[in-house]
Amino acid sequence: MTRFLSLLVRAWVFAVFAAIFLPLCLIFVISFSGDAYLSFPPTSWSTRWYAEVLSNGGFMQGLRNSAIIAVIVAFLSLALGLPAAYALVRMEFPGRRTIQTLILMPLVLPSMMLGLGILMVFTPAGLVATFPGLVLAHLVMTLPFSVRILQTSLANLGTDVEQAAMTLGATPVQTFAQITLPRLVPGIVASSAIAAIMSFDEIVLSLFLVGPRLTTLPVAIYRYVEDRTDPMVAVLAVLLIVVSLAMVLLIERTVGFTKAFGK
Amino acid sequence: MTPAPFIRCDGIAKSFGTTRVIDNLALDIFKGEFVSLLGPSGSGKTTLLTMIAGFERPTEGGIWLDGYRIDDLAPHKRNMGMVFQNYALFPHMTVAQNVGFPLRMRRMGRADAQARVARALEMVELGAMADRRPSQLSGGQQQRVALARALVFEPRVVLMDEPLGALDKRLREQMQLDIRDLHRRLGLTIVFVTHDQSEALTMSDRIAVFNKGRIEQIDTPAAVYDRPATRFVAEFVGETNMLSGRVADTGPDGTAVDLAGGLRIRVRQPLEPGRAVSVCLRPERLHLGGAGVNVMDCRVTDRVYMGDHLRVALDGAAGPIIARLPRSADTIREGEAVTASFAPEDCWVLAA
Repeated sequence: MTRFLSLLVRAWVFAVFAAIFLPLCLIFVISFSGDAYLSFPPTSWSTRWYAEVLSNGGFMQGLRNSAIIAVIVAFLSLALGLPAAYALVRMEFPGRRTIQTLILMPLVLPSMMLGLGILMVFTPAGLVATFPGLVLAHLVMTLPFSVRILQTSLANLGTDVEQAAMTLGATPVQTFAQITLPRLVPGIVASSAIAAIMSFDEIVLSLFLVGPRLTTLPVAIYRYVEDRTDPMVAVLAVLLIVVSLAMVLLIERTVGFTKAFGK
Repeated sequence: MTPAPFIRCDGIAKSFGTTRVIDNLALDIFKGEFVSLLGPSGSGKTTLLTMIAGFERPTEGGIWLDGYRIDDLAPHKRNMGMVFQNYALFPHMTVAQNVGFPLRMRRMGRADAQARVARALEMVELGAMADRRPSQLSGGQQQRVALARALVFEPRVVLMDEPLGALDKRLREQMQLDIRDLHRRLGLTIVFVTHDQSEALTMSDRIAVFNKGRIEQIDTPAAVYDRPATRFVAEFVGETNMLSGRVADTGPDGTAVDLAGGLRIRVRQPLEPGRAVSVCLRPERLHLGGAGVNVMDCRVTDRVYMGDHLRVALDGAAGPIIARLPRSADTIREGEAVTASFAPEDCWVLAA
């Protein structure tokens, strides 16, 4: 009986994995299609769609913009999120609980609504279709995550080790720089990676804010798919997956995934 | 003339929100003294320690160190070493870097610092572990590193917050002796928080017994054990039989107390006749046989073999009583009728 159950559980796990990964495999296969249309299985094989994507000025420009924005957003998420997380975890001030709740609000709101609101504020400010505008909009999405992840990492560290440092003669600044920060590295890597991936994949807010002079890769893909469906889409999907996978591998190699995100 | 206290806590009160965890507390600690703060969890002992360390400010009252008021002094300026229950080592540094940390903070020269770190590690017998990470050490070794780190900069006071609580029994007893030995050799002033009464009895010069934010008694281990100031102290420190009764009469050769069970016993303390009292009788003060002043007939209701002694439950005119008997009483059996006795000077009487 237990044997049968364990077999069933294994089959179930396998089915879930298949449901997640089969579409990815399909896309991977199609990206090497030589056909002019999306079809499975492809009737001919080639890497011509890869060449097509790499020589497409619109996509390459979008990729460059998205990468730049992702890096800046990741950096700012950390620079703004870390002090906020520190204050929320380690300091006592009136309204702390309220702010802890409010800071997660953007995650609850439909991004459609957020996008509309942001557009209405950014238009008079002249931020639409600019790098600062897109960065600010993405920060609205990434900051709650960064603050949350850093809050958890900080809370998990406890205060004993920091208190020990202080009794040993370290000023609050020395304690933070030499004791807290080094122990926070997994959280910092995790929150920055999450912010970068979120920004890189962001589409709803970006749709409101891009213009003819400035667009991101997801928006460029979205626009392209509206008109046509050819294996180029599969190639783009593969590229996006590779970028995300690279980030995950980076985390795994530097600090370990479970350590970065907790268990 | 008594010397001025080295640490002086006066009129201390501490509230968190509307909860008052310490109320009107006074405690003087002298230079070179080993004082334990003993009490159940939530009795305020750790809160007092964190206020001495500077992590919390008293709501009322003040703390003085060597004559200077330190309430407003930041923790890093207090020059106190602290040892935590979970060791609180820096996981990203080696053992030597951990121990050298307070010296680096004091900008001590490299050669000097290295020599001091080596000496401190030698002192806790961890010289060979200098380049290991804390995670590569056992719990006992980690706590010895923490000890070396708290002592290496020759702090004025060493604070210990249940430092042995995470260690197993044998290691804990070894560390108790080690810390006591360090205290004597280095002439340290130590404030030691614990909820383990036997630990407090073994290690301390004086014990402050905490209950509900107050100190019930502060005295030497022997005085706390033999002459507890309150019922709480009597029951928290060591095991005790509490016999309730009423004072019958008192005279130059002692006092007679009528116990609730009908037995009349004699005690040494002079007491006002008619008063309701509790007589505190330690289990090891009871003897078999009718040779004492206070004699009673009992029945053995339980008998537990404890290795070095027998723990025997008796029932008689004084009510149920626990006795701790030597192994020579091995032949005693459950249900047997015995005569037990105890001396008047082994009774300690408290107001009921």
